[in-house]
Amino acid sequence: MYIGYFNINWLMNTEKGHVNCSNYCTDSNGYHFRIRSLRRKKEKISHNTKQLFLLLQSPTSTNYHPDKKTIFNGAIFGKHQEECKPNQAEGKLSPELEHHQKTSFEEVPLHTACLTYLGFYLLMILGYINQLLFVPKVATEKNREGYVALYDAFESFYSRYVYRRVKDCWNRPICSVPGDELTLKDRVTDDYGWSFKFTGTETRCLNLGSYNYLGFAAAAGRCADESEERARNDGLAYCSSRCELGDNEQLHELESLTARYFGVEDAIVFGMGFATNALNLPSLLGPNCLVVSDEKNHASIILGLRLSGATIKVFKHNNMRDLERVLREGICYGNPKKGGTPWNKIMVVVEGIFSMEGSIVRLPEIIALKKKYKAYLYLDEAHSVGAMGSHGRGVTDYFNVNPKEVDILMGTFTKSFGSAGGYLAGSKKLIDFLRTNSHAHCYAGSISPPIAQQILTSMKTIMGEDGSDTGRKKILQLARNTRYFRRRLAQLGVITYGHEDSPVVPMLVYLFSKIGAVVRTLTTRHIAVVGAGFPATPIMEGRIRFCLSAAHTKEQLDYALEVIDEIGDDLGLKYSRKPRDANPIEY
Amino acid sequence: MFNFKQLASHAYRQYELVTCINMLEPWERKLINGFFLIMMTLVIFSSFVYLPNYLQTLMQFVTPLAGHNSGENVAYVAQKMARS
Repeated sequence: MYIGYFNINWLMNTEKGHVNCSNYCTDSNGYHFRIRSLRRKKEKISHNTKQLFLLLQSPTSTNYHPDKKTIFNGAIFGKHQEECKPNQAEGKLSPELEHHQKTSFEEVPLHTACLTYLGFYLLMILGYINQLLFVPKVATEKNREGYVALYDAFESFYSRYVYRRVKDCWNRPICSVPGDELTLKDRVTDDYGWSFKFTGTETRCLNLGSYNYLGFAAAAGRCADESEERARNDGLAYCSSRCELGDNEQLHELESLTARYFGVEDAIVFGMGFATNALNLPSLLGPNCLVVSDEKNHASIILGLRLSGATIKVFKHNNMRDLERVLREGICYGNPKKGGTPWNKIMVVVEGIFSMEGSIVRLPEIIALKKKYKAYLYLDEAHSVGAMGSHGRGVTDYFNVNPKEVDILMGTFTKSFGSAGGYLAGSKKLIDFLRTNSHAHCYAGSISPPIAQQILTSMKTIMGEDGSDTGRKKILQLARNTRYFRRRLAQLGVITYGHEDSPVVPMLVYLFSKIGAVVRTLTTRHIAVVGAGFPATPIMEGRIRFCLSAAHTKEQLDYALEVIDEIGDDLGLKYSRKPRDANPIEY
Repeated sequence: MFNFKQLASHAYRQYELVTCINMLEPWERKLINGFFLIMMTLVIFSSFVYLPNYLQTLMQFVTPLAGHNSGENVAYVAQKMARS
């Protein structure tokens, strides 16, 4: 920077003719020599000046800015190196040691915890004062005297007086493909979050908030073209369930491809990922069953388990000792409602990557426990499928576990495949049972043809059946981005949770007000991220969740990291007390 | 001067974040700021007016023999504490 500045002064002087040329005209030899050197200097100067102007234009040294770039989605820019490692467990250490080495959950500093609670109490007190003094600007029902409130009182209080204050950070409408970049529709509020108005302008942002792990969400490319063609040939929907008129060849192909992809006997697909959990768990479980569920499991699993009427026991997040304790107690004491008679079946329900924590399930140990206690294992791979393992087949691939050892593999097509829907994969017997008993199969509409085509094309690309190595490149690029981004964040001194190979990176900001401040500041700096606060996380653990994608390039990540570094100082996000890596991180 | 300004703005931003002031409406901001201002004034006022006396008495209580009247017993200090 200094050199650039120095040289531009120099250049201005020469242009204005202030340079004293007499110095260069002492003798003939010297003259020629010096003129030549002056020319060389001038070339250098113009080069430096160009660099300086670039520096002045963008605040980063990477020269990347979301606002400057032309719209181009879903391509890999970064130089691809064959030797770089995919997301894959090394298997050199025992699974337990490897887990502890790679996973970090740093403790919250005590004063931050106190301040977080203080801020939260202040917000609640102010909310109650507000509620007491003013009539909320919301629609209210008339002629309802004597009725009990239909909606939960605390929930509506919370969304009106706490969530409303930072409402502008969530549910932001976008008007482009959520690829590596996206276009936000700008909106303003005149009444502190009660209502919003569109300004008519748009902001181009770097997208760090979509679960577009392999970058298949793109407006152009093979997936988009084939989906479009399918929509033109087959229409948009069958408007019927699989058991009636919604069944077709394409879905059969999708099911057999899914089974082949995971290396299991059979698979069944559904049009909605949430319903895959919520409606299929009740058909597998009944009242006399015991379910051992991880405490950080997704809402769809919890809903499904509650619908099934099974007894739910929760174990501590990714804690094998606690899982074993719960399993052992379940077997020892039986069903207390039926006087201690044995359970019909015991099922362990876990996720592959936990979306809020960024941690990876300890699959080898869970499989060992499941075999020891003869329990079934239900593995929800919503976030891990595509993102983990050297072939993108999820955590079974990551740990090199035979997928047939997991009884029920569940996952969604929403994330890595850039589409919609969910699947269940397992033995032929299980899938046949589900085909006759699943509510989602019998009553829900089948997958729309273009959406199924998107899954088919992206899945074939990952498997390499399209004849190119695009899928493999994407998997490697994601692994590389993940490791680079996580290491750089650790170097900056912010606290991140989870496993070093997981592409979901939660950055802890703790305070409720900081979630809003960080999301807003990042949006003004053209970076779109997702914040997660109290109802989704514990009160004390407000966080910003970055989701990495194979579509991101090093320049984009560098830009994001630079901005995070800056606002980390400004807003005080660098909580980590771990020693920082002083060496530059290699991409 | 510039540095001081920066420091002050940084400190105020931290205060804003801790008390959630940055997400409040103007009248709520005034309320919270006023509340903290009053608390601070009270603390500063009382620490100037009452604290020296308290400390003196406390010192006498803690070190009864080192006081100016070496012949006095502990009961006197207790009386003095009760009076002040």
